[in-house]
Amino acid sequence: MNKIKLSLVVSTLSLLLLSGCAQKVTKIDVNNDTGEQVMGLDYRDFNQAAGEAVQSMLKSSALDKKNDKRHVLAISNVTNDTMQHIDTDQLVKKIRVELLNSGKVYVTTAIGNAEDKMNKEARALREDADFKQDTIAKEGTLIAPDMSLSGKILQRNININKDMQQVEYYFMLTLTEVKTGFAVWEGETLIGKRGSSKSVAW
Amino acid sequence: MKLYATLFTLLLLISGCASKSYVKFVDNSIEDVIEIKSVNNRVKENGFTEVQIKGENETDQYMLFRYRVTWEDKDGFEIPSLSSNWTEFPAHKNAMFRINIIGPSKKATEYQIYIDKDIK
Repeated sequence: MNKIKLSLVVSTLSLLLLSGCAQKVTKIDVNNDTGEQVMGLDYRDFNQAAGEAVQSMLKSSALDKKNDKRHVLAISNVTNDTMQHIDTDQLVKKIRVELLNSGKVYVTTAIGNAEDKMNKEARALREDADFKQDTIAKEGTLIAPDMSLSGKILQRNININKDMQQVEYYFMLTLTEVKTGFAVWEGETLIGKRGSSKSVAW
Repeated sequence: MKLYATLFTLLLLISGCASKSYVKFVDNSIEDVIEIKSVNNRVKENGFTEVQIKGENETDQYMLFRYRVTWEDKDGFEIPSLSSNWTEFPAHKNAMFRINIIGPSKKATEYQIYIDKDIK
């Protein structure tokens, strides 16, 4: 009986100690984040890179088209060449949303890295008698892209001394006119961070 | 009667001259540090509104600030965009600086720019 009591007391004390040590969780105020910078990439860096890229694209008039028509933009490869496990959609999605809302482009999900397989699957129903055939997309209805967005996120680590390191992140993007293969817009955003060598940048 | 008419005309003139302030300092102490020289806007051929703010850092120190822009359509409804996130900009000592922004779409015709100290 005494053993049970003792184990109960120990368990309760351990629980109390553990909960006392636990760091309080706070929600990030993404509108005014006063939190410390980190050596890796965080959402603030993606916001900055995407914002700069879109501003530069819109200022350049590379997406202007006669009679206010929209370009059809395909998302090509945006490579993660950093030491971090990041999904480049964190960058690309922000750019896509902003460009779509600008009225300058339609983003195609028929091909490229933004592909939605349902475009093909829905067309494969043409022979399926269970589906009302006039509700299925006809042949020759998909629109081919006339613009393509590609790029790379690059990381470079430099040791300043044994205690300090510098990490440089390059966000490189290219907008290509598919018909000619010309790069009609190119942009680069550099985000540099300097901190302790003990900080991990991946 | 003539006096009232003159006063009324004066009042109209004064209210007509009062222009909207497109730039707001989030922290009042910024007023002692930078001066906004001009805020110009133009509608580009593609219908997008482009804004340029010219200012001057009146101190002997390089400083980092941040700005954000809120955009509205002609009916006063906010148009969300990446430019409503804070963006840093440098102000070199005793030098002019420029902020150049383009609206997120043709519908974005009204804007408000906020300038704040950098939080680094």
